[in-house]
Amino acid sequence: MLSAEEQAHIAQVWDLIAGHEAPFGAELLLRLFTVYPSTKLYFQHLGAFPDEVQLLSHGQRMLQAVGVAVQHLDDLRAVLRPLADLHAHVLRVDPANFPLLIQCFQVVLASHLQGEFTVEMQAAWDKFLTGVAIVLTEHQR
Amino acid sequence: MVHFTAEEKTAVTHVWSKVNVEEDGGEVLGRLLVVYPWTQRFFDNFGNLSSSSAIMGNPKVKAHGKKVLTSFGDAVKNMDNLKGTFAKLSELHCDKLHVDPENFRLLGNVMVIVLASHFGKEFTPDVQAAWQKLVAGVANAMAHKYH
Repeated sequence: MLSAEEQAHIAQVWDLIAGHEAPFGAELLLRLFTVYPSTKLYFQHLGAFPDEVQLLSHGQRMLQAVGVAVQHLDDLRAVLRPLADLHAHVLRVDPANFPLLIQCFQVVLASHLQGEFTVEMQAAWDKFLTGVAIVLTEHQR
Repeated sequence: MVHFTAEEKTAVTHVWSKVNVEEDGGEVLGRLLVVYPWTQRFFDNFGNLSSSSAIMGNPKVKAHGKKVLTSFGDAVKNMDNLKGTFAKLSELHCDKLHVDPENFRLLGNVMVIVLASHFGKEFTPDVQAAWQKLVAGVANAMAHKYH
């Protein structure tokens, strides 16, 4: 599904995130909750007003999982199966929320990479993250 | 009707004051056509759209992008009456151009990403929220006259 060029763009951007999963993840969640407040309903375990420590901790977990996906672009279904089961059967996240998270992810990338966030990177990451979302929701029924 | 707070209006107009309608328009439309290739269906007469560099450099893409972003300027000036502002354009896109309104949502999201790339840290979550609200309002206004 992802061409060799697309995989290269994904790896190239990930190199800039690796080691900074916590701040990237925290910013991602802060943007998600600020722009799309209804998504907070899925994170009630973080409390009504999640503080920086919680955002960093949970954001890190999320971005680390993205990192695992980046290392297994040819094998997403197998490697993400436990997370797919979690999102489908335990968290029961409405699939409509994933495009909201993806939009915030792209904004995080764009605001950090700025002029270096090429159209090819945007296209590759949109395709990749959409693929991850499909895998995480396909066991819902 | 969408209501924008004073802070949201400030965030929108501050960002808009630094937008270059000519260059940024081409970039927004170009990225839409590259990231969501099916949107190219409306631009068969635009010439070479065969690669991302062809699309981003295509003069017709740039010209049309400029047109699109110019009308966004009207949105910024009329945030309290988006439906009225875009009524004619909505009719045009439905009756003559036959554009699926989902495209307006995609375009709005791409515009927010382009703004984020230009403004960096200044494009805070609150600024993003104001802009997402505006582009969603424009998308709804553009879909409003569909029948």
